[in-house]
Amino acid sequence: MSTAREQILSSVRAALAPLPERTPRPVFSKDAAEPQWLAAEADSIALFQKRAEATGTKCFTDIESCAAWLRSQGVHTVYIPAPLTRLASLCAEFCKVTSEYTRACVNEIDAAFTPAAGAIAESGTIILSDKSTPDRLAALAPWHHIALVSRAEIHRTIADALSAMPDDPNLIWVTGPSKTADVEGILIQGVHGPGAQACLIL
Amino acid sequence: MAEQKVELFARNLDHGVQKAVRSNSAAGTEKRYSVLGNDYTAPDDLRRLAGQIRQHAIEHLDTYLEQAEQSLKRQGAHVHYAVTAEDACRAVSDILQKAGAKKVVKSKSMISEEIHLNDHLGSVGIESVETDLGEYIIQIDGDHPSHIVKPIIHKNRRDIARSFEREGLGDYNDDPETITRRARVFMRDKYLQADAGITGANFVSAEGGRLVLVTNEGNSRFCLAAPKIHIALVGIEKVIPSDAELAVLLNLLGRSATGQQLTVYTEFINGPARTDRPSGPREMHVIFVDNERSKILASDCREILRCIRCGACLNVCPVYRQASGHAYRSVYPGPVGAVLSPLLAGKNFKQLADLPKASSLCGACNEVCPVDIPIPDLLLKLRNRGHEEHAPSPGTPPMGAFAKLASSPMLWRFAMKSNKVMNLVPLEKLPLPYLQPWLKTRTLPEWRGGEFRTWMKDRRKK
Amino acid sequence: MTQSPARPTSRTVQLMATCLCDAFFDSVAKATVEVLEHAGCEVEFPENQTCCGQPAFNCGDWPASREVMRHTARVFEGDKPVIVPSGSCAAMLFHGAPLEFEKEKDLPTVKRLANRTWELADFLVNGLGIEKWPGRFPARIAFHRACHTRGTGSGDAALKLLQSIDGLEVIPFGEAEQCCGFGGTFSVSFPHVSSSMGCLKLEHMTAGHPDFIVSGDMSCLMHLGGLAERGGQPVKTLHFAQILQTALHRHG
Repeated sequence: MSTAREQILSSVRAALAPLPERTPRPVFSKDAAEPQWLAAEADSIALFQKRAEATGTKCFTDIESCAAWLRSQGVHTVYIPAPLTRLASLCAEFCKVTSEYTRACVNEIDAAFTPAAGAIAESGTIILSDKSTPDRLAALAPWHHIALVSRAEIHRTIADALSAMPDDPNLIWVTGPSKTADVEGILIQGVHGPGAQACLIL
Repeated sequence: MAEQKVELFARNLDHGVQKAVRSNSAAGTEKRYSVLGNDYTAPDDLRRLAGQIRQHAIEHLDTYLEQAEQSLKRQGAHVHYAVTAEDACRAVSDILQKAGAKKVVKSKSMISEEIHLNDHLGSVGIESVETDLGEYIIQIDGDHPSHIVKPIIHKNRRDIARSFEREGLGDYNDDPETITRRARVFMRDKYLQADAGITGANFVSAEGGRLVLVTNEGNSRFCLAAPKIHIALVGIEKVIPSDAELAVLLNLLGRSATGQQLTVYTEFINGPARTDRPSGPREMHVIFVDNERSKILASDCREILRCIRCGACLNVCPVYRQASGHAYRSVYPGPVGAVLSPLLAGKNFKQLADLPKASSLCGACNEVCPVDIPIPDLLLKLRNRGHEEHAPSPGTPPMGAFAKLASSPMLWRFAMKSNKVMNLVPLEKLPLPYLQPWLKTRTLPEWRGGEFRTWMKDRRKK
Repeated sequence: MTQSPARPTSRTVQLMATCLCDAFFDSVAKATVEVLEHAGCEVEFPENQTCCGQPAFNCGDWPASREVMRHTARVFEGDKPVIVPSGSCAAMLFHGAPLEFEKEKDLPTVKRLANRTWELADFLVNGLGIEKWPGRFPARIAFHRACHTRGTGSGDAALKLLQSIDGLEVIPFGEAEQCCGFGGTFSVSFPHVSSSMGCLKLEHMTAGHPDFIVSGDMSCLMHLGGLAERGGQPVKTLHFAQILQTALHRHG
């Protein structure tokens, strides 16, 4: 008896064999799906900020204003990776700061900073990878997530980001806060993941 | 006279549900038109390119499927194949039972609906929780999704509040924000306790061996954060050549589905989490499911396999807006469902052969389709197949006599003139079974058969 | 929808009047003749024409439909452009027929007919190159782009000519992409859905209080007009060709 694999592959081959010709792989330029307004945007960093804000991701360019925002949000416990000492001391003024992310404190930590693997200007997207993220939950479970984006790692377009995918079994593009419109089409943020998505551009 | 099932369903549909479905769908269509129109000077060219990409992919499935398998295996994923829905269900439960997994969290996947995975897992004692808010509500209500992207478009907040109260998620409260927060708290524990996460995949890039998953809620990401095992159920037609094609497809998917440039979470998975990384499933299984797809590939309706499940054709479809998703009696409603569902039914084709008739053939579905599927042509081909297989089709006039009349010019001209008698009798009394449904809501103009011919002849004489 | 871009544009044309005009709307067929003649065409009317076969095609009875189409292809033999005052029947000739003949030996015959077939507005603008229509028609109209003209040049062509007529104002309305609900035999096998679609269409089209509801397809107008009349709120409907014809008569 043939295996399921052989059975499926042979019926696929049999299905395709009678085709007199097959559709060729289309050749298209990398900018084929770029929105028409993109050309007018000269500065990728400014574009990233604009697009991120438009999709609900708050952007900060200095740690002081980012810390002030967390303070205004009434954050209790913030996870900050160890090397960010100045940020940690700023946040320590108004909340508990931890540099350890453990499963035990998933529901305690209500804000987390994690380094991003890059960003996309065209769509205001933050790129996270397993390599850059201490725990997948750290970038997902807290109500506030702040991605640390390095200016040098902002790709201009979606196509650019796709052609420079880092070697990592898991990459996630985050474009705004977690949201749903399942109940009567009404938009609610923070279904499962962050209700407040932000990034700190360094 | 017997009625078409979709017609009957629409006629009896709750007025509130119909209104909700219609206004929500219309809003979705408006948003899609405005976003695509604003972002692209020639959105139709982009749709055609995407259609060609998908058509190329399915016509080279023999190559790409094997390539995807090899790429995924190279990166440490286990690859399985399932011929039927039952095989696919069994493959999932085998993996779970082997690992001793008892609790599963699931992110939304149309193919898992198609194979009725939750029923199967329940029957073998595995708890499977739908984590998409809408799908969760469907699950606790024992209901079925009525839209590909908006599964509970047919429910209102009061229905949901009652369900949550019944399930012990708090006292009755129909505030959408409260409902969502309660689900957040409830799901949190489920995610953290689950042994395995089950997802679908929107695309599989063959070259990179990459599964692409899109969600707005972030639930699929949660399903892959705490659990140790990841099982992905993937229809064999989801394969695309490489990552480069994603630039076109992702740009169209979000805009077509919800008017977003990109869905909030776009996840790229090409293998289990590495051992040197702190989190993520260490074991990854990809199950490629055929379930009639290779037969569709062999048929003259193979273009339907291009579908990327955006739901734009549902939103724009005037029949869907009147009838709602459950009228289609299958997992895939609307225009795409009217094509796909009878085909997926395999040897039970005739049971759903009425669905392709539930269309005015207006072509709006093709006009909004991000991969330019010629849905009206496929509906017509399936109508022809239904006719060939003598599938019942109530309310469809027989066409033999019409064909005879319309192929005999003398008879035709005679009929044109003699039918003038219709002007002299009350039409409502005429025993013409196909005239009466028309007259119920519409008047018929005066019969003036042959008048033009006479005028034309006289004009030529002058 | 596919349509051959390089179709003949000779000044002698064959008119396919359509079965609806044959049975009910002689005024529209007459208007079409006058409009084409004004555009400098000599109009031939092949007497043996009947129907395009679309009812059977849409019902899934393709053998019956092919029988009618074979007759139609014989009636309209030759190389002159075939002009149809209906987007739907025109689409049957240039799109539906090649589809139902895909596996038939005489596919080339129906393809030749397909490549000579024009919907009226498409022919006037894209075939003959007419950009402006003379005369006057002081009215506000709501124009329904018939569904079977999606993806063809007809919708834009009709709007272009209508908007060029002195005194004529084309008013916009909501959900313009939505179907009127006719759909041929769909209107009798799904009477509730079809009528509900039509009522919605009427609601949108009459919202701006137009003087006339206009389309390039009598089937849509027969359905909408019939619904409105049965509902006790009749509307005035006009075919695109009738507007052009009336404008000419008011030319002076």
